[in-house]
Amino acid sequence: MDNRKILVIGGGVAGLEASKQLLRLGLHPVIVERSERLGGHVAGWYKLFPDMRPASDVVNQLVEGVKGATVYLNTRVAYMNRLKDGFSVMLGNGTGLHCRAVLITTGFRLFEAARKEEYGYGVYDRVITNSDLEAWFGGEADGRIPDNPRTVAFVHCVGSRDLKAGNQQCSKVCCMTAVKQAIEMKEKFPDAEIWCFYMDLRLFGKKYEDFYINAQQQYGVHFVRGRVSEVSEDIAGRVVLKAEDTLTGHPVKLSADLLVLMSGMLCNRDTESLAAMVRAEVDSDGFLRSRDNICNVNESNRPGVFFAGACTGAKTVPETLAEARAAALAVYNYMSGND
Amino acid sequence: MRERFASGFDPFVLPFLIGMVFVLGYCAVGILRILRQLPREDRKRFLVSLVTPSTALANIRDIFLNCLIHVKLWKRNKLLGFMHSSIAFGWFMIILLGHLEVFIYCPERIHLFYYPIFFNYFVAENESTIGGALLFFLMDFFLLLILTGIVLAMVKRARSRLFGMRRTTRPSFLDTIGLYSLWAIFPLRLLAESFTAHISGGSFLTVPANWVFRQFLGNDLNMLPTWWAYSIALGVFMTVLPFTRYMHIPAEMMLIPMRNAGLRIRHARRGFAKVEVLSCPGCGVCIDACPMSVKKANIKDCTVYLNRQIRRGNEKRIEEISDKCLLCGKCEAVCQVGVEGPRLRVAQRAMRRYAINQDFSAIDTSSLVPEAAGKVLYFAGCMTKLTPSIGKAVCSLMRKAGVDFVWMDEEEGLCCGRPLLTAGRFAQAKELVRKNEEIILASGARTLVLSCPICYKIFSEHYRLPGVRVVHYARFFEELVAQGRLQFEKSDIFYVYHDPCELGRGCGIYDEPRRLLGAAAGITEAPASREESICCGGSLGSLTLGFSQREEMTKAALRKLYESKADAIATACPLCLATFSRYSERPVRDLAQILDARTKQTAR
Repeated sequence: MDNRKILVIGGGVAGLEASKQLLRLGLHPVIVERSERLGGHVAGWYKLFPDMRPASDVVNQLVEGVKGATVYLNTRVAYMNRLKDGFSVMLGNGTGLHCRAVLITTGFRLFEAARKEEYGYGVYDRVITNSDLEAWFGGEADGRIPDNPRTVAFVHCVGSRDLKAGNQQCSKVCCMTAVKQAIEMKEKFPDAEIWCFYMDLRLFGKKYEDFYINAQQQYGVHFVRGRVSEVSEDIAGRVVLKAEDTLTGHPVKLSADLLVLMSGMLCNRDTESLAAMVRAEVDSDGFLRSRDNICNVNESNRPGVFFAGACTGAKTVPETLAEARAAALAVYNYMSGND
Repeated sequence: MRERFASGFDPFVLPFLIGMVFVLGYCAVGILRILRQLPREDRKRFLVSLVTPSTALANIRDIFLNCLIHVKLWKRNKLLGFMHSSIAFGWFMIILLGHLEVFIYCPERIHLFYYPIFFNYFVAENESTIGGALLFFLMDFFLLLILTGIVLAMVKRARSRLFGMRRTTRPSFLDTIGLYSLWAIFPLRLLAESFTAHISGGSFLTVPANWVFRQFLGNDLNMLPTWWAYSIALGVFMTVLPFTRYMHIPAEMMLIPMRNAGLRIRHARRGFAKVEVLSCPGCGVCIDACPMSVKKANIKDCTVYLNRQIRRGNEKRIEEISDKCLLCGKCEAVCQVGVEGPRLRVAQRAMRRYAINQDFSAIDTSSLVPEAAGKVLYFAGCMTKLTPSIGKAVCSLMRKAGVDFVWMDEEEGLCCGRPLLTAGRFAQAKELVRKNEEIILASGARTLVLSCPICYKIFSEHYRLPGVRVVHYARFFEELVAQGRLQFEKSDIFYVYHDPCELGRGCGIYDEPRRLLGAAAGITEAPASREESICCGGSLGSLTLGFSQREEMTKAALRKLYESKADAIATACPLCLATFSRYSERPVRDLAQILDARTKQTAR
């Protein structure tokens, strides 16, 4: 094995963890990241559930681990061509590479909340998304968040499990994110009333259920089962939500000082064109199609093309990291002809 | 002139005679049955209109223009118009001239149905007289006209695109028999008349043909078989006519006077609806028009097939087709005879009985009445509530213009009733209408402004609000502009205006939005606009179309709008806005949003 280069597209947590493992396996990952920093979405997050560990810790640790890898920031992949023994790659900055395998770790994008116009994102002043809130937790100023909110509402499933929004899939992490953010809001504003409007609570992971019980018992967060039908604005600029409490069968109305929309996950826009370059397939849900959804989640239908992380579907951080390690091993096996 | 047969009869007229008597009898019974099916007041209205000079004159004019000249078809496509009017008008003239001949030469035979049709067999006239030459010339001329039409009809079967139609109807078995017998009638007439031309006279068509035939077939033995064939073709056509699409010929002559009398569909299958269904010529213009037909599987859900299924009594399909339709009204807009596809379907939906019927009569409206004495009332409706940027823009514009208004359903409001109305649940819709009327009248408002065309249609058609003016914002804002209370700064973005079904075809508002938009931005036209605008696919009208089935319709409608090369799409309906926004590659804005962003501060 003379050429040990592996192209890793995307420098989010999946790309970083996979690169770290590839380095350990004696390969040479080349990370191509389109933004100006590594860490992807997680780098913009404040704290991670369930242990409330600062996201920056995790990202720093991961970045530390890829020392020795080649990293291109602010760079996109211009084209990739399959050769007999690998891929010839041209990057947007003019660099040409010859890589043995391609690992796609392009992750996800957040659903644009403005597309669900009935929730008023971009129309009313007091409506933000989960990622806006996280950025504010992390210290960014946000004029939409009042100084001392008395009522804060969270709406789950914005642009996920929603055929009309064009995404039928569950985005997995938003239920838990909402619970986490509700608790964080309550810690910041102990006098505020927090309301969560949900369809179903999908709290599948380790300690998630504890978190949820805690949110109710210790923090007094209210959970209402029912989708919000419409949002309007009153004279004072507060948002007025109308929903149905499907457990009691009654319509409910709530005036809130802040509305947080839990935007769901969609596949990144460029992923499809990247996949087309190496003839990988896109699944009916818009994410990349694995060779097999049970045994070969990391592999595409094409030899030498691998996936890790949220580019094949919504995932939590620990799931993504586990998948990244598995992908690194799959690449290693491919390179050593152990398939 | 001399009559060739003293008896004035030959057995070959029998096929024609049988067909003729059958079709006349069928129509007579049909007319009586339809008259009986009409509600009493409608029947009276219809009969009175027949003897009222103004409507009687209108009937004659409309029947002449639509059934014989086919003016609407001419407007759609010249070739299509020529084809239809040459056959219809030519045939009418041949029948008329035939009667004229009998009337002039042997008036004692006028009571014989067949005499005018087979005049040339029974009567030998010399074309050397002025009268004969003229009549024979006209007869041959109109026959030639019809034959041209028949040739065009044959071309149309193979190449419908030449006639401006991408897809046409698939004829049923009986339709095919009707079609071929109709095509056969006129060439056979030419043949028959040619064989007798040296005895009975002829003109520029029949005389040379006669000469040619006699060169090859030097005797008169072929005369009778061709007259038989001609009569049989006529007989077959008239016998199958009631069971084919050609029933539209007599039915339309009934439909026009009924429509002129102001009748409406009251029952999905009886009376006026029945006449409409029978008047459908099965041309299939509605297939290309139907937004659902972008999917091949939906072609059989167009109005032309609804009519066919109603005639066949296929209940399952009738229900399916009726529930599926978006009620966009384009089939009605393009229909040459004016079949009201959407109304037929809603009437069909109204026949369904539901186990549960909501009771809205118990709603207490007192808490919903706003204080709006003498003011303007704004009703947003549920769709605007789901697209809050529109409501916000409308209110902002009214504030800028200094309009003293109250938002009627800002907090709580009732449904306008239109979804129930389109579902055919008239009684329930009426309950909601009454409740909203109570609220509006009690508020003391003088003007009601609406931003949703779906609401606007039911408010303007079904609400009784004495002293209150119901107006869509496009019209209202245009008035404010005329009064100088609103001014716009023109942006350099070019918009293509999409006519919402409910506002355009539904309420006839096409120009106000365009003028307003033109004042605030650049404006271009899409290839299919105004009456022919394509439904966005989001319509509330359909009861069964799924979300994924609508996606392709929306995308097809967008593609047509993109053809205009505009930067962005403007519309004036919250539902169109929401539907287009989902898939559009270009920005979509409501007219109110565009106007609000471009208002110039006036020096008021």
